[in-house]
Amino acid sequence: MIAYHFGRGRARLAPYLFLIPGLLLYLIIALGPSLATAGFSFTNATGIRGAPINWVGFENYKEFLLLGQAAKDNFGALGRTLIFCFFVTTIQFSLGLFVAMLVNQGLKGTNFFRTLYFMPVILGAVIQGLIWSLFLYPLGGPMARLLEFFGTSSEFLGGAPAVAFTWVIVVQIWANMGTTMIIFLAGLQTIPTEMYEAAEIDGASKWQIFKNVTWPLLTPSVNTNLLLNIIGSLQAWQLFLVLIGYRNGTQVLGYMIYAQGFGQTSGSTSSSFRQGYAAAASIILFILVLIIGSITQTILNRRERRILG
Amino acid sequence: MKAAIKIHKPIKWGRVGSYAILILFAIIYASPLLILVNTSLKTLPDFMKNATSIASSFNFKNFIDAWTKANFPRYLTNSLIYTVSATLIFVVTAVFVAFPISRRYIKGANIILSLFVVALFLPPALIPQFQLMLALGLYNNPIGYILLFTINPIGMVILVNYIKTIPKELDEAAALDGCGYLKFMTSILFPLIRPAVATVAVLHAIGIWNELILPTIYLTNKDYYPITRGMIVFQGVYGSNWPTLAAAVLLMTLPMLLIFLLMQRYIISGLTQGAVKG
Repeated sequence: MIAYHFGRGRARLAPYLFLIPGLLLYLIIALGPSLATAGFSFTNATGIRGAPINWVGFENYKEFLLLGQAAKDNFGALGRTLIFCFFVTTIQFSLGLFVAMLVNQGLKGTNFFRTLYFMPVILGAVIQGLIWSLFLYPLGGPMARLLEFFGTSSEFLGGAPAVAFTWVIVVQIWANMGTTMIIFLAGLQTIPTEMYEAAEIDGASKWQIFKNVTWPLLTPSVNTNLLLNIIGSLQAWQLFLVLIGYRNGTQVLGYMIYAQGFGQTSGSTSSSFRQGYAAAASIILFILVLIIGSITQTILNRRERRILG
Repeated sequence: MKAAIKIHKPIKWGRVGSYAILILFAIIYASPLLILVNTSLKTLPDFMKNATSIASSFNFKNFIDAWTKANFPRYLTNSLIYTVSATLIFVVTAVFVAFPISRRYIKGANIILSLFVVALFLPPALIPQFQLMLALGLYNNPIGYILLFTINPIGMVILVNYIKTIPKELDEAAALDGCGYLKFMTSILFPLIRPAVATVAVLHAIGIWNELILPTIYLTNKDYYPITRGMIVFQGVYGSNWPTLAAAVLLMTLPMLLIFLLMQRYIISGLTQGAVKG
């Protein structure tokens, strides 16, 4: 604690007093519930106000992981979550870096391109999803026309689960690549131009410059983007809701949790909300994020030490 | 004269190639939006006949239809109320938390700060939060809904870090002049940290405006729907009438686009800071 200048005695309490509302809101709305998720995962809580909540031990976990068809579906969703994460992360990360480097060359019109690529980020899942539903309109929409030109056709979001799923990956990348690009751009701008000039004088090729100057010096943004992309895509599912809805063979874990906890459609009654089960599923997703996140973090830390040391 | 002939620089293929790729990406990014605008200007029969043809005339009827049939004014007003009030509550309460933490004017400042940081790594609060709101009778209640958006851990971290850049001597000087804590915060600190407040407020507001999951969970009364939820309902009813639906989407997009173009600097600085320090 450092010297406090705004009075003694009672007046010394002012900072504590004014801090209370913000801290309380945070503890009650975010931190408390977040910690309580684990507790709820051992109960049979529903969505009915005042209904008794009983302790059921590991029942929810057993059901999620071991019970016949439901468990099969869950592992399907788990697999799709990992596939979604893998493709979104690798493509979005590489495209983001590539585009950031293009935009960082100081070419004319750069601001326009940067703004355009970043724009979808602020539009939100509803607008992103609806824009692409129209773009992928199967009855003579722009994408259908393009395929027609190549002599083929697709039902896009209404087609086979794998096709619909692939398009959600495309839209997810389209929607969020801007954030990855912006973070890489911020990283690129911290690299002093003298470094490039020195490398050029030494006669280094473009690829050598990228490998030996840009890539190592970009380490902080590489770490940030990789973690953000992995964690973000493991938890993302809003675009599934807007683009295809709750359809067998396409769900990811996040969407399953929501569907179990709050009903698949807005019309279902709150008695069918299986919130204890959904809480258990959230904990499983959380553990997945934690494991993949910490493995990535460990690898990144090792790499950083190797580069710096 | 010789020099004049030699003035042509050789074409740098690097530059031409760069522009080619930039333009290709621009097409991928802009065309879904342009298609949206084009569709919104067409009549339904036109769209059915040929979904991709260029709109032959400016047909604004779709916008009028969307505005009146989609209950748009209601949803927009709701979204505006939720966004503005929750952002205001968040920013004001957060600055009063961030300042004493940043200055270490309170005991346990570090512990409180880590409480905010740790939330980024914990399981989602969704289910217990719902149980809490249910128990408090705040389910399907606009006030309860607003309360859900009065916190933002990343925003808090950005504020704490920004306040560190304001010299501490300022506090001492103001206090010597007889300025109290509250007066200092409102009349000296707030104006000084305006860039950080703008950044945090804009990011937070965009998040609320775009939120789809929480209104789906917490609001069952149509009169309380924000624009996101309203759009999904509208899609359900007018799903096959793309011209009207496109007009509705465009009406919803315009305020966001405007805010984005005006506040781009703050949004980008917030995202990069939040990403690096969060």
